Amino acid sequence: MSAELPQQTGLNTLDYNVPGLAGDEVRGADGEIKPHWAYLLDSLKSITPEALDERQQKAMRLLRDDGASYNVYTDDINPARIWGLDLVPNIIGSDEWGDIESGLLERAELLNLLLRDLYGPRQLIRTGVIPPEGLFAHRGFLRACHGIKMPGDHELIVHAVDMIRREDGSMLVLSDRTQAPSGMGYALENRTVMSRVFPSLFRDSHVHRLAAFFQQLRAKLISLCPHQSRPRIAVLTPGPRNETYFEHAYLANYLGFYLVQSDDLVVRNGFLWMKSLDGLNRVDVLLRRVDDWFCDPVELRSDSRLGVAGLLDVVRSGNLVVANPLGSGVLENPVLMKYLPAISKALLGRELRLPSVETWWCGERKDREYVLTHLEQLVVKPTFRMTGQFAVSGAHATKEQLAELKARIEAEPMQYIAQPLLPSSYLPTLKDQSLQPRPAILRSYAIAGTGSYSIMPGGLTRVGLEDDQFIISSQTGASSKDTWVVASEPEREVSNLPSGDEQTARDTDLVNLPSRVLENLFWLGRYAERAEAALRILRTSYSFLNGEEPLTPELRAYLLQVIAEATSTPVMNVPPTDSDMTRQLLEGPVHNAIGNMLNSMLFCADEAKELLTSDTYRVINDIRDTIPALSISQPSGMMSPEDVLNPLVTALMALSGLSHESMVRGYGWRFLEIGRRLERAMQSAALISGLLGPVLPEPEQSRITEALLLIMEGLISYRRRHGARIALQTGLDLVLLDPSNPRSIMYQLEKMQVQLREMPNKKTYLHELPAVERVLVEALSRIRLLSLSETCADDSGARKKLKVTMQEQKAAMIQISNLISDRYFDHREQSQQLVSGQWEGL
Amino acid sequence: MRYRIRHITEYKYADRVSYCYNLAHMTPRTTGRQTCHTSRVEASPIAVSGHLREDYFGNTAFHFEIQKPHRELVITATSEVETRPQTGGISLDMGLTCAEVLRQMRNPATGDVLLAREYQMDSAMIKAAPELKAFAEDLFEPDRPLLNAVSALTDRIFTEFEYSPLATTIATPLSEVMASRKGVCQDFAHLQIACLRSLGFAAKYVSGYIETLPPEGQEKMVGADATHAWLSVYSPEEGWFEFDPTNNTMAGEQHIITAWGRDFYDVTPLRGVIFGGGTDPVMGVSVDVARI
Repeated sequence: MSAELPQQTGLNTLDYNVPGLAGDEVRGADGEIKPHWAYLLDSLKSITPEALDERQQKAMRLLRDDGASYNVYTDDINPARIWGLDLVPNIIGSDEWGDIESGLLERAELLNLLLRDLYGPRQLIRTGVIPPEGLFAHRGFLRACHGIKMPGDHELIVHAVDMIRREDGSMLVLSDRTQAPSGMGYALENRTVMSRVFPSLFRDSHVHRLAAFFQQLRAKLISLCPHQSRPRIAVLTPGPRNETYFEHAYLANYLGFYLVQSDDLVVRNGFLWMKSLDGLNRVDVLLRRVDDWFCDPVELRSDSRLGVAGLLDVVRSGNLVVANPLGSGVLENPVLMKYLPAISKALLGRELRLPSVETWWCGERKDREYVLTHLEQLVVKPTFRMTGQFAVSGAHATKEQLAELKARIEAEPMQYIAQPLLPSSYLPTLKDQSLQPRPAILRSYAIAGTGSYSIMPGGLTRVGLEDDQFIISSQTGASSKDTWVVASEPEREVSNLPSGDEQTARDTDLVNLPSRVLENLFWLGRYAERAEAALRILRTSYSFLNGEEPLTPELRAYLLQVIAEATSTPVMNVPPTDSDMTRQLLEGPVHNAIGNMLNSMLFCADEAKELLTSDTYRVINDIRDTIPALSISQPSGMMSPEDVLNPLVTALMALSGLSHESMVRGYGWRFLEIGRRLERAMQSAALISGLLGPVLPEPEQSRITEALLLIMEGLISYRRRHGARIALQTGLDLVLLDPSNPRSIMYQLEKMQVQLREMPNKKTYLHELPAVERVLVEALSRIRLLSLSETCADDSGARKKLKVTMQEQKAAMIQISNLISDRYFDHREQSQQLVSGQWEGL
Repeated sequence: MRYRIRHITEYKYADRVSYCYNLAHMTPRTTGRQTCHTSRVEASPIAVSGHLREDYFGNTAFHFEIQKPHRELVITATSEVETRPQTGGISLDMGLTCAEVLRQMRNPATGDVLLAREYQMDSAMIKAAPELKAFAEDLFEPDRPLLNAVSALTDRIFTEFEYSPLATTIATPLSEVMASRKGVCQDFAHLQIACLRSLGFAAKYVSGYIETLPPEGQEKMVGADATHAWLSVYSPEEGWFEFDPTNNTMAGEQHIITAWGRDFYDVTPLRGVIFGGGTDPVMGVSVDVARI
């Protein structure tokens, strides 16, 4: 096909036809391009495919650097996908958007009233507007949430709607998201990236800005806590494994809220508290990203580890506001769509402007009969969304699947609805350097304000991967687009700076992080340093083992021994004649061990994501990308171990440098620094003891000392100071005692001491040192008081004094780590149910 | 009749419990046929931020935290309740027929009937099933008064099932109870509710206490009694009627209600989350119902 295309510099104009009956977003019924698309399409024409590729690359890079990912549950090994963004935005004219917006406002108002009724008087049930089973049989109706009332005008704070454009151009609502709607953060990220990839196109298109909308969200959440002048607001996330964790961290940062997980929170004396370094801090408002059912194991799902025991009762007594309110998932019940016109008449006195998709509920006999006889034309959905439960399209199902679906409907008719299989309209999407039509779905967002709701101008557009995909969901691999509501006039700039009177606790609080975050930073430092030490040992050992001068069996054995020790693996058996040593070293347990250290490090980095800069995150991503190369056996002779190990060592050093240069010196940085220093001191002690412990004849003694200096990056300074001949005592001086060598043990201990003095401690009038510092001073003195000649003395073939000292050193570091952990980190006991057995029916 | 009830729940843990959050349904509710005069729930170790609230079903729920580390937890609920018989002069041979009840349930004339349909549906622990329908169906002839049929079902369960405290736990499913023909009051209440719902009637689970009279000439044993459970069936326009399949009777003055719901799960006397505690806690319950 491409051969028939005329030669052109830029993207082809739209030479596609939209399949079937679907609508075309770009062209009107007359086949002409709609005016609001013209500017963009013209601009794209002037961009060469190469330039476009380059922009696509840039977008990918920006997304990756921001850590914009989406976790796919079905992929256990590598769940994180870089968020997919198509460079062609979805464009909506501002006149048309005005209509859509007023429809969305009306719908949000209606659902707000509906929520109030369902958890209040249930007048709609009493008067027969909604059949009782429509509500009572739905698993999202949480009786425990009956009677909860939000402060302010609205119960429903955030409302999201998925909609498609019909063939006639009008919008149709497919579903509502009312518990913890996702995607707002991704929409913001899409916008940020697009405005950097196409700065002038974006500027000249007069796109409505998103900042005011997020400002409204922030202001609303602050207003939910009327009694506190600086409310403490937190975003509750299920954790880094959740599909949309990126946006939880992203939004928390953007809005200036804390990011917390279940274990960061505790209920005490009828309030909710965040566990942090200086104890418990009261939380006033939670923006939750945890589903209703999982929020409280006492009254809701008993086996949940994502919620907080006692949370619901704190909400009930008015000591905490959770947005959206617990129980709001009841509005996601698609059965309500069937009755929405009647509900609207009852509550608003009129029908909705923005229609919803036609819905048949199998709980009604007539509907059920229709559904069972028209399965091929319908999409059947469970009324309650759960992971692993998908909509089934009759047209796409096999005979067996249809039979199975029928059986399921007949067994639990109230739990299923059906809707027609509707074609979405198509948006031009970049594919293989040309524009291809892809089905699109738009998620829009409303935020409660004073009086009414505010609608995000635009929203999150998702497009199917193929042109016939019937379900467009990020879980099944859809891509996304920025959504531009274009005005004819440029819009006034809005910054996202909060006005002076609406500060939150976090604005003035640089030190108070959840203690989980501090713990993860401490371990991030330890794992990074541990991995680096192991890599350095491996790298140097390899060059020695494989070097020109043959090693004596003893030297070889000592090197293999320290490798084993640094990686906690069995000692390798590398035969002296083995020419394929590369292979030996690049396979098996050692590399798995290093891979594990790096993975643990990455896990800690994800947990502390909101504290890491995007530069830091880029390095983290580089490391993440290298891990697979570590464990896959290399084609022999193709790559030397250095090729694999060097970039990793460099990346780890870059990480260390970045944390030093770009992290605020708050407690987060201090814990990271202590973790690093502690681990390095420990690894060095083990290495020194392992290599210099045995007494060897020359020239072996000099060679192994050289190896030690090489591993500890001291060889160059050594030679500059002492010349080419390597002597044991001077070498030991450099790695052990020299306070100016950033890799000496002395240096680590002195740096640790500086940080430990800054730790928060209980105020006391006594002058005794805290326990951690006592251990450190002792360790420091032990090193300071060493005599080099005594330490190097030969005691029947071994340097016993050296070995004992290094052993004590290691023990002191372990003790310090334990003391820090006991004092500052949280040690939550396992919780369990008083009455075992789970009857929630999920 | 006026009673003083003392309901003691004890937990002994293998390990220290550092903290716990609890929700108790131990305070008798005031209903058409009983008045709760006083009620007090106490915990040892002492509870903090304890407070009462009315739950979705109108029951009194008591929430509390315990902050003191403990290996033993004792919850004591003490109440004084005055009971009356169910609506005077119920005749099992009068009232709406089964067919008429079903018709009205399907075509509700009032909001009350609509709301009662909540108790006609499956709930967490009670699922309608063909075998349950089959077990009861022959008793519910269309022309028979509903209460008469329910009474006959109560009798059938009482006759065909053996009361056996060791046969089941709170997690035993109804299919097992049906197979073994053994259970305790909770199982029988669940069973009868499930049969009624399978046939299209609305029924709720009632949790409470019963005064068991001592054998002639003997002192009544203190603490020998346990919590009790029975059920309540709905007849449109006529209201709710309580039946006790464990004792083959309608609930009367000797039945003291604490709470009702769709099944045991809604009204569990004491539930909660504990931190620590080790495995296999030992639980003991004693209830003393004394006339005053």
